[in-house]
Amino acid sequence: MELLPEGASFEACLTCGLCSSGCPAAGIENMDPRKFIRMAMLGMDAELSTTPWVWCCTQCRRCQHVCPMNIDISQLVFLARGNWPQDQKPSGIVRSCQMIRSTDSTSAMGLPPSDFVFVVEDVLQEVRENQPAFAHLQAPMDKKGAHFFVNQNSREPMSEPDEMVPLWKILDLVGADWTYSSKGWAAENFCMFAGDEAAWYEVVKKRVDAVSDLGCQVWLNTECGHSYYTMWHGINRFGLSADFTLESLITWYARWIREGKLPVNSKWNTKNIKFTVQDPCMIVRKAFGEAIAEDMRFVVKTLVGEDNFIDMQPNRSANYCCGGGGGFLQAGMTDHRRTYGKRKFDQIMATGAAYVLTPCHNCHSQMEDIGHFYGGSYGVVHFWTLICLSLGILGENERTYLGPDLLALID
Amino acid sequence: MTTSAATKNIRDGNARHLAVDLAVIGSGLAGFAASIFAVGRRIVTAQVGNTGAVAYTTGYLDLLGREDGSRTDVTDPWQALEKLAADQPDHPLANVPREDIREAFTQFTAFLGEGGLAYSRPGERNLTALTPAGTVKQTLCVPATMAAGCHAYAEKSPCVIVDFKGLKGFSGRQVAANLQARWPGLATARIDFPDIMTGEIYPEVMARALEVPATREKLAVRLKAAAGEAKIIGLPAVLGMHRPDLVKAELERLTGLVIFEIPTMPPSVPGIRLREMFEQVLPQKGVTLIPQQKITRLNFDADGATLSLADSFGPIELRARAVILATGRFLSGGLEAERTGIRETLLNLPVVQPDNRNHWYRDRYTDPRGHAIHRAGLAVDRAFRPLGSDGQPYDERLFAAGVILAHQDWIRGRSGAGIAIASAYKAVAEAEKFLSSRS
Amino acid sequence: MTPDIAPKASRNGTRTIATDVLIIGGGVTGAGVMRDLALRGLHTLLIDKRDLCAGASGGNHGLLHSGARYVASDPHSARECRQENELLKRLAPQCIEDTGGLFVAVDGDDPGFAEEFPVLCTKAAITCKELTPAEARGLEPKLSDRLVKAFRVPDATVDPFRLALENVAHARTLNGSVYLPHTEVLRFEIDRSEIRAAVCRDTRTGGLVKIVAGQYVNAGGAWAMNIAGLAGCRDVNLLYSKGTLLVSHDRLTRHVINRLRLPGDGDILVPGGTVSVLGTTSVRTDRLEQVAPTIEEIDINVREGSAMIPALAHARYIRAFSRVRPLLQSSSGDDREATRGFALIDHTSQGLTNFCTITGGKLTTFRLMAEKAADLVAARLGNSEPCRTAAEPLPDGEACRWTEPGGSPKYWYHAGKADDMILCECEMVPQSAIDEIVQNAPGAEEEMTLEAIALRSRAGKGPCQGSFCGIRICSYLYDRGHYRDATGLHHLRDFFNERFKGQKTVIWGRQAAQMELAEALHCGLLGLDALEENE
Repeated sequence: MELLPEGASFEACLTCGLCSSGCPAAGIENMDPRKFIRMAMLGMDAELSTTPWVWCCTQCRRCQHVCPMNIDISQLVFLARGNWPQDQKPSGIVRSCQMIRSTDSTSAMGLPPSDFVFVVEDVLQEVRENQPAFAHLQAPMDKKGAHFFVNQNSREPMSEPDEMVPLWKILDLVGADWTYSSKGWAAENFCMFAGDEAAWYEVVKKRVDAVSDLGCQVWLNTECGHSYYTMWHGINRFGLSADFTLESLITWYARWIREGKLPVNSKWNTKNIKFTVQDPCMIVRKAFGEAIAEDMRFVVKTLVGEDNFIDMQPNRSANYCCGGGGGFLQAGMTDHRRTYGKRKFDQIMATGAAYVLTPCHNCHSQMEDIGHFYGGSYGVVHFWTLICLSLGILGENERTYLGPDLLALID
Repeated sequence: MTTSAATKNIRDGNARHLAVDLAVIGSGLAGFAASIFAVGRRIVTAQVGNTGAVAYTTGYLDLLGREDGSRTDVTDPWQALEKLAADQPDHPLANVPREDIREAFTQFTAFLGEGGLAYSRPGERNLTALTPAGTVKQTLCVPATMAAGCHAYAEKSPCVIVDFKGLKGFSGRQVAANLQARWPGLATARIDFPDIMTGEIYPEVMARALEVPATREKLAVRLKAAAGEAKIIGLPAVLGMHRPDLVKAELERLTGLVIFEIPTMPPSVPGIRLREMFEQVLPQKGVTLIPQQKITRLNFDADGATLSLADSFGPIELRARAVILATGRFLSGGLEAERTGIRETLLNLPVVQPDNRNHWYRDRYTDPRGHAIHRAGLAVDRAFRPLGSDGQPYDERLFAAGVILAHQDWIRGRSGAGIAIASAYKAVAEAEKFLSSRS
Repeated sequence: MTPDIAPKASRNGTRTIATDVLIIGGGVTGAGVMRDLALRGLHTLLIDKRDLCAGASGGNHGLLHSGARYVASDPHSARECRQENELLKRLAPQCIEDTGGLFVAVDGDDPGFAEEFPVLCTKAAITCKELTPAEARGLEPKLSDRLVKAFRVPDATVDPFRLALENVAHARTLNGSVYLPHTEVLRFEIDRSEIRAAVCRDTRTGGLVKIVAGQYVNAGGAWAMNIAGLAGCRDVNLLYSKGTLLVSHDRLTRHVINRLRLPGDGDILVPGGTVSVLGTTSVRTDRLEQVAPTIEEIDINVREGSAMIPALAHARYIRAFSRVRPLLQSSSGDDREATRGFALIDHTSQGLTNFCTITGGKLTTFRLMAEKAADLVAARLGNSEPCRTAAEPLPDGEACRWTEPGGSPKYWYHAGKADDMILCECEMVPQSAIDEIVQNAPGAEEEMTLEAIALRSRAGKGPCQGSFCGIRICSYLYDRGHYRDATGLHHLRDFFNERFKGQKTVIWGRQAAQMELAEALHCGLLGLDALEENE
């Protein structure tokens, strides 16, 4: 069984170690990217297909970013994951993939379409009733011909449905023509993390079909990292034809702000609370690159005030993976995941910021967890939360992730 | 790709279009130096290239450390340059006036300082700087975090070299053993790095951890214990990544010691510092930086140059009125050594080279005369325009800078930074002359 | 007889060592004689003026011949190879990878030869099975699509370094027999028909060593004629043939691949663990020292090899090396036809009764050569013990396992000790390997050179050719107190110089990038080109 893909440039490796030096997984299970590639070259496929390290590498591609020869070691890791016997893969990831395939929702929590529709309706009703300013709020479902097909992480409808609302308010405010879909609505995609190409393809296909069925022009990716990457990379990899563009909410936040449709400003930040921002690997380094990192910073600075934004170091495409991706949160390898996350923790602490903004669910969960574990006191918030906060439209049930300092600013 | 207000950025179907005055191809010291000088002259600039190899820089900026073929050090580079100009008129450093070289180094180090990496200014003489093997070398400018090491060596002050358990390739004992004859006051001690008890540790990890105050406090305790009676300690280069001067100052405050760092073997921190700083600061200064892509094609037409490249979103077409080729040598892919000869990879420009590969290398690796393969490269005219096969400049809009140039051996001459910075300075000056003559 | 080894003598003194048998030449034959005699209860001292396998034993394909290669040109050798091949696979499996071999012909190769081949194999009792080109390409996808004939034979690959180390280690275990590296014979003291002593020089310290033995064995390989000459013997007649091989970054095939034609240039590609070894050439020479690959030889090997395996034309090569083969003089003009058989010369015609030379031959038949020499030596000493090397398995010696390709990564991985850090990242050699080698390997000594350590391991054999790991290993040895002054730095410089000899002719493409970085580090930063030469 050959682990090395044909045509890969692994023979260009100088064994200089820049990859290992810049990898947060280096040292876990006594492995690192340089060792991994050498073991592949030395024919140790059996060991590589059984080292737990392949579940600790999140495939963030930072190794490739710092490599002077541009070698992509994460490719090898993906292949190694695929070589694991199904019954030995981390069960959390496998189960999530199974759940995704179990209904037309493609939800990793197995929330079927009808339940999703119900939750949305239910929460919408509540908002209309309890928040007079939003008595007319919409959350369209299966609206044919809508411009934006908006996806949704399963976490919100399953466990914190009120967290869906800030985005609805934003879309309403900017007059976006959008819709949810009862089919293929979910964002997450653990099948790629399971190293299961066939399943990955199946999920992507279902989602592509769902967008096509509704005839939307733009698939608008919610604040989730890997959902963008698995969709975009999957469409290219599997040669699927998509009659729509794939775009990120971040790009549109920036655009709406520039167009004046989203009148955010930083006047609310009277206490000059400091913020930093996390660059999700799946959106920045692995996908849009510096352009979206710039858009994100434009949004943050507009939201909190330029002087109240402290960039992490390193940042943008050179930023570190936090360790929330690649299925790490579901793999049940908590100690390793936290060891991995130490670098991110140090980055955040070095900024001195009170909050980390991130447009990614996995980053959100991981940064919260390592914050608690290593004794940091920072909070982690999504963009939609802060946007609504700055506009003074954040409902009472939408403030879960705000610390007392931010809460104090709300009248 | 970072966008700058000064460039025109038009979406056209698949390809994105950019237009600038000057395109710099190459992301080594020469490429970055060219961007720095161009910014200083307010030239609208884009820089493209695969960045990785600048991370191998040790942090020392060598102008001229050794005379060709000799084993003796150059202590006065300015004087040595005079001799060089007489002996080797085709050497790139022979074709940049000394005042310009000095000015170039001054501007370059000032930029580094503004970017958060303080450097010593170019002096009248070289500094004798330390290496991880326990040898010394001549260099012109050093990071401020390393300067105290040069001073301690010059004074032969009592000093402890501190190394870390788990750090490969850096041994305090080795440094002390090899310097002890000249520097008897040198001792060594090994310590743990805070929170890392087992396994191997990379300098980058330590450097980033030291950006956090709590880590510094823990390390300070260990450093004080290791220093014993000495007032000066030397460490491998781990004093922070983003704010090394702050990290050093803080550790000195916490320990009451003078602290300096010594470069390590790759993967080393000083090179990563430079890379990360350039990639953040240059876009802030208005340079359009596309740091992870290689140019696939370069064409010249009546109106200018077109550089073709692509990122994960598709093709990018960059139009420029002048181009500086600073693509480096074999490591960075500016030159390719094929069995039949050495080729310049972007335009197939003629490469000055030995007549066949039998003559690329001498028999002995460490022959002080160096190897002819390293002298191969692009011939340029006085304006640093590379020559075409007819011996005339390939195009009036094309310039070349850095170690891709022929008639120099930057490795043996300890002149890599010198060639990069000086030739970039000159190339930008010439490009500016050209651009204003056409505007 | 117990050894009498004085403590390390000063430069001015000569120390004297006594032993039963002095064996000159640390190639596999010399090491084999050492073990064979030890198994018979005889104490030996093995010396080499450089180190183990410094001659042809360390510069060959690593091919354990099935014998098929010689069925046309030298049927006697072919049979010997077959027998020894089977023996060694059984008795020294830790040194061997049983890869199997293919003989392949491409469009344009002599069909007559291909016709005869299986017949001759059968005659020599060598298993030979014909495969269709499609079957052959199924086994080895990298074979050319211009393949017209293919046969499968029981070739295998062998690690000559490990073979030598294990033989020496076993002799040491059996009766304290000793191996001394960097010990060169200057002259023999002869009294009537006997050599009384060999006066030798330690080439590292310059000190003299006098070795007094009952019997003296010349296993000097290509140097055998010179050594015999020192004893006044004119009955060793050798031709020297230089062969050049190159090592590719990747292992390109599972089997040994031979060209199905009369032996010529570039017609064998042998897997060597994780790399492939392509060769060889045959250039008559009269030089024994400073032999180096030439560009022409490299290009010939690549051109010929590409006819069988097109990927060889574009492969990354990390090293090339040349060694000198001793050939017993023959009357024909073609060196390849000179017999690859061996000769045991008892020198009685030269008036000596306690000197013999074992020479010629090939790696595959080393044990047989050693047996013949040992039979003679034992008989002359009145020792009637039979040879046991055809029955006694070769045990795993201490600190001998590190030359096995892919061995140390597996060991390190399964041991899982985070503090046992990897020093050679390319071949994944950990600190514990270095420790073991420096303390226990045959020839281990104080301030052992990096080159000697590398020989006993895979350090420096990967793509970086030691340019990074040399630095790490050197630092580690300073940490351990193995080096305490500038000696380590000089060893580092010497190590890189030695490694470079093997690279010079294959530096192009990716290897040029690797070397640019290496030289910038070694010279530009560390200044190893400026160290004083004479230390």
